[in-house]
Amino acid sequence: MSRVAKIEQQPAVATGTTLVVMVGLGVAFLLFMAFLNVVKSGNLLNDSNLLYAALIFYCGAGTLYLAFGITGLPSYIRFASLATWAGLIANTGAVARRWYEAGHPPFASIYEMLLMFVWTLAVLTLIAEKKYGVKIIGTVTMPVAIVGVILMQLLRTEVRPLVPALQSTWLHVHVTLAMLAYAACALSFALAMMFLIQDKMKTETFLAATSLFTVATYVGILTRFEKWGGLSVVGWNPEDKAEIFIAKGVRLYVVIPDLGWLMVLVLAAVAAPLFLYLIWSKTHNQSLLTMANRAVFLSILLQVLALAFFALRARDGHYASLDAEGLFPTALAASPFILSGLIGTIFVSLLYLLLLWRRNDLERMLPSADELDRITYKTIAIAFPLLTLMIAAGAYWANRTWGSYWSWDPKETWAAITWLVYAGYLHMRITRGWRGRRAAYFAIGGFAVVMFTFFGVTYLLPGLHAYA
Amino acid sequence: MGAHVQSVPRKLWQTLGAIKTGVILLILVVLLSAAGTVILQRPATEADEMQRAYSPQVLHLLDALKLSDVFHAWWFVLLLSLVSLSIISASIQRFPNAWRFFSRPYKSPDEAFRKGLPGHALIPIKDEETALSVAERVLQKEGFGPERIVRQNNFSLFGERNRFSEMAVYIVHASLLLIFLGGIVDALWGWRGFIMLTRGQESSQVTPQNASPRTLPFAVRCDGAGQENYADGSPKRWWSDLSVVKDGQVILRKQIVVNDPLVYHGVRFYQASYGNTGKLDSLALTATPREGQNPQEFKIGPNETHTLDADTTVRLAEFIPDFVVQDGHVYARSTELQNPAAHLVVESKKVAQSVDVWVGSGLQEDAASPYIFRGKDVQMAYFTGLEVSHEPGQWAVWAGVVLMGLGLALVFYFVHKRVWAVPVRDAHGQLKLWIGGTANKNKDAFEHQFRNVVEQIESELKVSSPAVAHAPVAALAGK
Repeated sequence: MSRVAKIEQQPAVATGTTLVVMVGLGVAFLLFMAFLNVVKSGNLLNDSNLLYAALIFYCGAGTLYLAFGITGLPSYIRFASLATWAGLIANTGAVARRWYEAGHPPFASIYEMLLMFVWTLAVLTLIAEKKYGVKIIGTVTMPVAIVGVILMQLLRTEVRPLVPALQSTWLHVHVTLAMLAYAACALSFALAMMFLIQDKMKTETFLAATSLFTVATYVGILTRFEKWGGLSVVGWNPEDKAEIFIAKGVRLYVVIPDLGWLMVLVLAAVAAPLFLYLIWSKTHNQSLLTMANRAVFLSILLQVLALAFFALRARDGHYASLDAEGLFPTALAASPFILSGLIGTIFVSLLYLLLLWRRNDLERMLPSADELDRITYKTIAIAFPLLTLMIAAGAYWANRTWGSYWSWDPKETWAAITWLVYAGYLHMRITRGWRGRRAAYFAIGGFAVVMFTFFGVTYLLPGLHAYA
Repeated sequence: MGAHVQSVPRKLWQTLGAIKTGVILLILVVLLSAAGTVILQRPATEADEMQRAYSPQVLHLLDALKLSDVFHAWWFVLLLSLVSLSIISASIQRFPNAWRFFSRPYKSPDEAFRKGLPGHALIPIKDEETALSVAERVLQKEGFGPERIVRQNNFSLFGERNRFSEMAVYIVHASLLLIFLGGIVDALWGWRGFIMLTRGQESSQVTPQNASPRTLPFAVRCDGAGQENYADGSPKRWWSDLSVVKDGQVILRKQIVVNDPLVYHGVRFYQASYGNTGKLDSLALTATPREGQNPQEFKIGPNETHTLDADTTVRLAEFIPDFVVQDGHVYARSTELQNPAAHLVVESKKVAQSVDVWVGSGLQEDAASPYIFRGKDVQMAYFTGLEVSHEPGQWAVWAGVVLMGLGLALVFYFVHKRVWAVPVRDAHGQLKLWIGGTANKNKDAFEHQFRNVVEQIESELKVSSPAVAHAPVAALAGK
């Protein structure tokens, strides 16, 4: 309890200015260090440096948004949006630089699309903040942007020439629309979450939802558990910057010893709050809930530990494989899913703690439930036509390239499923008058499908969309 | 209930149009197409790969249920047809009401409507005529185009904007049906296939994926094909020069590249692949006479004969792109151009017998030949792979897409707003102007506009008749 209490008191002790100065100094220090490194190499304005600057600013902005969420001091939000602006400028520079270098708009690989996604997200955050007054939105979007930029560092970055199929204006139209639509869906997800807070959904329910998400992620990671406590990850060839294949479509897995046991331990830690919640829901013994909240806090420490160990061991090093003789290298870039899962769960658990400790302040700062419900609907009313046009542009492009406007390839099918889910949302809302909770659940589910279409299909299902 | 007997087809029709049916059908479409992306699919995945991925029993089950080719299974087509029918039924069942609403707008609100409308205001007025003309002016300025409604010797006002957006949802539904129609037409009458051509070759035979070849009423000829590379060696561009030939005449010529097909009579030819056939197109050689210093250069194709001088001819009998010598024989190792060898047959009137000459690195010249041959350049024959498709339904699809874009824009971004102004007497017999307004979406923005309209009318009335006491705008909790 003492530990929890200490963390809880910290923001109260630090005044508004202290944190702003601290974050400002941190940003300045990191920029200065990066500058020193760059001066040595001589190439100042390449896109990875600009992206690094954007990352630093976004981190600063994320911290300040979070601080605003905790304390509600308006000075934080001013500096947070200032940092977002600075990050956005650096991000724009990176996009422009990349565009200039490649000679085509940066939509050709998942790296370039993430670059655009993060950019769109930052723009939409600023719009939501300035135009609609949803100030807290940066608490959710900035961490997503940060994860995006970190993932980009892991992916292959060199400008690769466009293969003939990608040399089309329609590709740019298609991808621009996709990024806009997906960013709008992300925004509607964040708004729906805020609606649930304003709609007086019980904090315990959020505990159950976040714990379930965390447990599901760790169970997913543990499908890679190997005999004797190892964790198998995909092998990575550092020269080609590509995954190692043993046959067409069959990846080579290497086993990092002992990491599996650590993941099992963390799974137990993140399952504890869920378990306590389940007992609480039967017995209604309040002390169980207090224990569950404490367990969440403890589990975050263990999750950070898991992330640190995973990052250290998977970053480089050679490991044995069950499929082939000898030792093979791996890299963080080979396991984007595990990595984003580990980061994502920490982030989700932190958001829960934010809600647990500062719910009253959050409710005071957020727009009313009615308004959030309306803005969510408006965002989807923007996202849906964009999704439609995105699919149409993609179909037109496919027709010019492969001679068929629709070939039921997984990405196409999942785009259609996404479209159907949002069409369902609109029908239920317009003809059945669905408002509030049910509409919010729909918006949340819709975004889960979007995420699967964007990442899941690329990495898990085979198909024509191999480049993205 | 009991008295009202419905025929079975009618009941079926109504069930089909119910929103519940629609939702269940859509959920089924979502689940089954998701299954189609997770389970390996037949035409795209090769048979042996399927066998490797699934055990024989599972594979048998998947094949029996058509789950290994979801998107062409009869039940999937049936499901999509049911979805179409459901949309048609729902649209037809709801259309009369919507049309009535659209074609006969509700212009003079009765008392019950006036009481029930959430967004309304009451402004005290002195006389009807001044109030109505002020309201008319304000509504005109706000773009509602007000008209005077006469009923039982009193006047009222009705103004509206964007009435057409009430019907826009039918445009969206119609566009979806148009897209489905295009898909069905293509599924029934469309086809896809493949043609492989080398330079100068001509063909009218298209090989479909799993059917017998199809003969086109015209032929395509490849006049040339090639590949351009980036500096790093990855391909930048593939191109083919194609001619459409009918009855021996060239009708159309076009250079196609990836993303830019040739279209003739609804048949489209796409650049799909490009590669080495392993065969020779032409070989450039120099021939130097054994006595004399005048080397001559010439080009020769497979089985072509070239005249070297009055007495001597040379024929290219064989070409091997990648040769290897084993036990005194020449063998082809691969079809790649790596270590070429050419087998020439030299015939001379001076010599009775023809002489075999092999040209290639490390091969011995035949001393009997009157000429010494050197290879200069090799042009391999490349094939261009053309994807051929005929999709007569695609125009319905594109028309549907355009219509849907239009419909969605109307549905989401055009708001049907209605405003009424009616002079009424309240319970105390005082004359008041009742103003009411409603919008079919984006209601918070409309509420703002409506309040603005009411305030404008109020302030203008005050200017024109300062005696009227100020009354607050009432009941504006419109949702």
